[in-house]
Amino acid sequence: MSSCPSRDPDSSDPRPQARLVGKGEQEGPPSQLIPPLPQVSRFQAGILSLLLVLHWELGAGSPTPDKVSCVMDHPCSSNLMTQVKNQLEQLNSSANPLFVAYYMAQGEPLPKYVDRLCGEDFMSFPPFHANGAEKDKLMELYRVMAYFYLFLDDVMQCQKTLNPNDQKLHSKLDSTADTVWGLLSNVLCRLCDNYNVRLTDMINGLNTSEEDVFQKKRLGCQLLFKYKQVIAELAQAF
Amino acid sequence: MLTLWTRVVQAAFIFLTTESIVPPEKPKNLNCIVNEEKNMMCQWDPGRKTYLETNYTLKSEWATEKFADCKAQRDTPNSCTLDYSPVYFVNIEVWVEAENALGNITSDHINFDPIDKVKPNPPHNLSVRSSEELSSILKLAWINPSIKSFLRLKYSIQYRTKDASTWSQIPPEDTSSTRSSFTVQDLKPFTEYVFRIRCMKEDGKGFWSDWSEEASGITYEARPSKEPSFWYKIDPSHTHGYRPVKLIWKTLPPFEANGKILDYEVTLTRWKSHFQNYRVNDTKLTVNLTNDRYIATLTARNLVGRSDASVLTIPACDFRAAHPVMDLKAFPKDNKLWVEWTAPTESVNKYILEWCVLSDKSPCIPDWQQEDGTVHLTYLRGNLMESKCYLITVTPVYADGPGSPESVRAYLKQAAPSKGPTVRTKKVGKNEAVLEWDQLPVDVQNGFIRNYTILYKTAFGNETAVNVDSSHTEYTLSSLTSDTLYMVRMAAYTDEGGMYGPDFTFTTPKFAQGEIEAIVVPVCLAFLLTTLLGVLFCFNKRDLIKKHIWPNVPDPSKSHIAQWSPHTPLRHNFNSKDQMYSDGNFTDVSVVEIEVNDKKPFPEDLKSMDLFKKEKNSTEGHSSGIGGSSCMSSSRPSISSGDENESGQNTLSTVQYSTVVHSGYRHQVPPVQVFSRSESTQPLLDSEERPEDLQLVDNVDSGDGVLPRQQYFKQNCSQHETSQDISHFERPKQVSSVNEEDFVRLKQQQISDHISQSCGSEQMKMFQEISTAAVFGPGTEGEVERFETVEMEAAIDEGMPKSYLPQTVRQGGYVPQ
Repeated sequence: MSSCPSRDPDSSDPRPQARLVGKGEQEGPPSQLIPPLPQVSRFQAGILSLLLVLHWELGAGSPTPDKVSCVMDHPCSSNLMTQVKNQLEQLNSSANPLFVAYYMAQGEPLPKYVDRLCGEDFMSFPPFHANGAEKDKLMELYRVMAYFYLFLDDVMQCQKTLNPNDQKLHSKLDSTADTVWGLLSNVLCRLCDNYNVRLTDMINGLNTSEEDVFQKKRLGCQLLFKYKQVIAELAQAF
Repeated sequence: MLTLWTRVVQAAFIFLTTESIVPPEKPKNLNCIVNEEKNMMCQWDPGRKTYLETNYTLKSEWATEKFADCKAQRDTPNSCTLDYSPVYFVNIEVWVEAENALGNITSDHINFDPIDKVKPNPPHNLSVRSSEELSSILKLAWINPSIKSFLRLKYSIQYRTKDASTWSQIPPEDTSSTRSSFTVQDLKPFTEYVFRIRCMKEDGKGFWSDWSEEASGITYEARPSKEPSFWYKIDPSHTHGYRPVKLIWKTLPPFEANGKILDYEVTLTRWKSHFQNYRVNDTKLTVNLTNDRYIATLTARNLVGRSDASVLTIPACDFRAAHPVMDLKAFPKDNKLWVEWTAPTESVNKYILEWCVLSDKSPCIPDWQQEDGTVHLTYLRGNLMESKCYLITVTPVYADGPGSPESVRAYLKQAAPSKGPTVRTKKVGKNEAVLEWDQLPVDVQNGFIRNYTILYKTAFGNETAVNVDSSHTEYTLSSLTSDTLYMVRMAAYTDEGGMYGPDFTFTTPKFAQGEIEAIVVPVCLAFLLTTLLGVLFCFNKRDLIKKHIWPNVPDPSKSHIAQWSPHTPLRHNFNSKDQMYSDGNFTDVSVVEIEVNDKKPFPEDLKSMDLFKKEKNSTEGHSSGIGGSSCMSSSRPSISSGDENESGQNTLSTVQYSTVVHSGYRHQVPPVQVFSRSESTQPLLDSEERPEDLQLVDNVDSGDGVLPRQQYFKQNCSQHETSQDISHFERPKQVSSVNEEDFVRLKQQQISDHISQSCGSEQMKMFQEISTAAVFGPGTEGEVERFETVEMEAAIDEGMPKSYLPQTVRQGGYVPQ
C-alpha cells in the first residue's frame, strides 16, 4: 500500500496556482472564499468532503450570507459563453484521448478489460440539468468541473509517481486540468458578473489514500471514463 | 590651460551623463504570440535607452486570478516568454512594467483570448498522390495539429514544379475550412510538383503556423502535347541520283512530352503510294533520297499516346529557295539573345533558327530551334556564352520547302577585346608615317569592334590620340617631326571597353625620300665634270706635264751609236715587234735620261738604283752599258764594284751608252740579252728619230756572214734556257767579270744551239760568236772558274729576274753624259 503525494503549492508546477476567488477575497470574511483547489485536492481515505462555497447574490433566488457584492478584477469577456462552449468542446475533444492514454499507460489488465474495470457506473459526478436556466446550468457546471478538477489533480499526482516517464499522459492530464481551471474561471466570472453569485458550497471528493496501487489506477480510469461521458453531455448542453 | 580643459571635459561628461540617465519610457506596442503547446511570448518596444539597470516585467492575470510575473532578460529587454501555454478561451490581461532607479512606468494593458493569438503547429505528414485517371491532378493529405480538435483552421497550400523557384498558391477560398486533404487540379502531366502547407485559426485571428515539410509527387503521363521540332540537312555530295539527307529533331521538353518518350516514328513519302517508315530512338535519321520531292512526318510516342505529326517538305533537287525573312536583327536582353525579323509576305509554316559560335580556331557547329510560323520574335534557347560571336541564321519554311536563309551576327554579352591590335609601320617618311594593323581575330574581339584609338608620342612629348573607324586597317600619322623616335600604341574598342596592343616605336628619317639623291647627284656630277675638265686640261698640257713628271728618255737601241761603233752589231728594228718579240716579251723598257751637263750625280736616281740593286742583280748582270759592251775589249770600265766610282766617273766622262733591257714574258726570262753598244761619245737623243738606222740594222741582220760576232739576239724558247742564263747572273758574290759572262754565254750558246733546233723556225736567234780566247782574255784576273752546267741551272731556279730597270751605272757602269 502506498499513497499518492499531495501537490505542494510551492512546487515547480508551472500551472497557475489557481484559486477561484472574487474581489471580496481581499476584503470579505473567510466564508466568502473558495478554498484553493490545489491545496485541498488530495485523496483522503474514504470520501473527502470539500467545502465549496456558493456565494449567492441578488437575483440568485436565495440571499447571500454576507450581502457582499461580487466584483472581478476585470470585466468578463464579451463572448464569455462562447468561450465556455469552446472550452467544453475542447475538453470533450480531449476526453477520450485522455482516457485512452490513461488506461494504456497503466498496464494490464486495464487495457484489456477497460470496459469491465473502468466502465462500472459507480463514480457519480454532481448533478447537471441540461435544460435548466443558464445561471443554474453554470452553477451545476461549476460543481461538476470543480469536482472533476479535484479528482483529476489527485490522479495527476499519482501518475507522476506511478508513471513518471509517461510525459504524453502527463501533458494530457495537465492540459485538461488547465482547461478545466480556465472553464471554472470563466463560469465564476459569468456568475459573478452577470448573476452576482459567489459560490460557497461544500464538495465531497474521493479519499483514495488507503487504496492500493491498482485500485488507485482503477479509480482514475473510472473517473476519466465517467468524465468522458459527462463532458460530452455538458458540451452538448451549452 | 590644462586646468581649463579638464573642467571642460568634466562639464561635458556631467552634461552627457545627466542627459542619458533617465527613467524608463512607457513600453509600447505590446503584443503576444501563443505557440501551440509550447509557450506564450510577448514583445514590446522598451523606448529610449535609460543607461540604468531597468527591469521589465510582464504581468498577466485573469479576471479571477493573477499569474506569476515574467521578468525580461537583460539582453532582451523587449520580450519575455512564459514557459507554459496559456489556457485558451479565457481572456487574459497583460501589461509591462518598466522600473529603474529613477522610476517606474506601466504600459497599456492588453486583454485577449490566447486562442486569438495562437500560432498553431504546422500540419504534418503531408503526402502527395497521383491519379491514373487524371494526369492533371494530385491529391494531398496531412495530419492537422492537435489544436484542430477544438479549433477551426484554414490552410495555405503552395506548390511548384521541381525545378522552379517560385511557388504557386492554391486559392485561399478553397482551403478556408478545416480539412486534412486537398486535390490540386490543373497540373501538367508527368510533372513533378512540390507542395507545402500551413494553417491558422479559421477566423484569421492569430498567426500562420510554420510551413510543413515539403512533399512532392508526379502527375500521371498524358500523350505528347506538341509535335517535335523537325529539320533536315542535305549532304551536298550526292552521287548516282541519290542525296544523303539527315533528318534531325529535338527531344520534346518534359512539359510537352507529357511522359517518357518511348520512340519516334518517321515517315517519308515520295509519292502518295510510296511510304517509308522508320522507328527511331535517337533524334536523327540519315536516309538516301532521290532527287525527288519528299514529305517527311515525325511523331513522338509515350506510354499514353502519340504526338501530332510534324511535317517537313524536302524539296526536289532543283528547288530554288526564295522569300527570306526581312529586317533580321539580334540583340541581347535579360541575359538572352533575342532574334527579331519581319515575316515574308508569303505564308510561313514555321521558322528554323540556327546559330553557331564564330571562331578562327574551331569550326561552326550549329545548334537550332524551331518556331511557329506566327512568331517573329524569340530568343535562342541554348547554352549561349558571353563574349562569343554568334552567327544566327533564320530560315522560313514554306509548304513547298525552305526559303532563303538570312544571317546576322550578335553577342549575348560583349566585353573588351582580350588582345589589342598590333600596329606596325607600312611606310615612314620624314614628316609622316603610315601605320597598318590587322583586324583582330574574332576569338579575341569579344564584341563588335567599334573603333580604334591610336596613341602616339615622342619620348618627351605629349601623347596624341586619334580615333579611327573600325573598318580601316591603316592610318597615316602626319605632321611628324623628322629624325624623331615615336612610340605608338593602339587600342581596339567594343561597346564594353578597349584593350591596348603592344607598344611600337619607329623613327622618322632625317631626310625625306629622294632628298639625299637630290644632293648627291649634283655633287657627283660636279665632281665628274671637274675631273673631266682636269683630264682635258692635262691632255692638252701633256707635253708640259710629261716634261716635268716623266721626261722622255731616248731609246739607246734606236740611237746611232751602233753606227758610231766600229763593231756595230747587227741592228734590229725594235719597232718591228712582230719580228723580234712577236709574243711581247718586251714588257718593261725603262729609259733614263741623264743630263750630261749635270756634273753632280743624281742622288735620287742613284738611290732608286740602289733600291733595285738587289732585286735586279740579274738586270745588272744582263745590262751592261754600252761601255760595258765596249769592255769586250776593255772589261774594267764595265765590270766594276761600287767602290770604283772614280773609275766609273772616268768612264762617264768619255762614254755614252744605251741599255736595252727586256724581261721575259710572264715571268719568263728571255734567254738572250740584247745589247746595243756604243762607244761613241755622241749623245743618243737623236737615235729615236732616226729610223734609217733601224733600217740599217735590218739590212745588216739579213746578211749572215757580215754579222759581227760580239752580240747576239736570241728569242726566248724555253724557260729552262732562260733560267739558266738568269741564274748565272744572279749568283751572289760572283766575280763579275765580262770574261765570265762571256764564258757563260758561250756555254749558253752551246746549249741554245742544241735546244734551238727544237724551237723551229719561230725561234729567232742572233748569235754572236765569241772566241774562247777573247772571253778569257787578258782582261780577266786569270782565275777561271770551272763552270758546270748543273750548278748553273740550280742557281737559275733560285732567282728569276722579272724586269729590267734602266741602269745607271754605279758600279763602274756608264753614266750618261
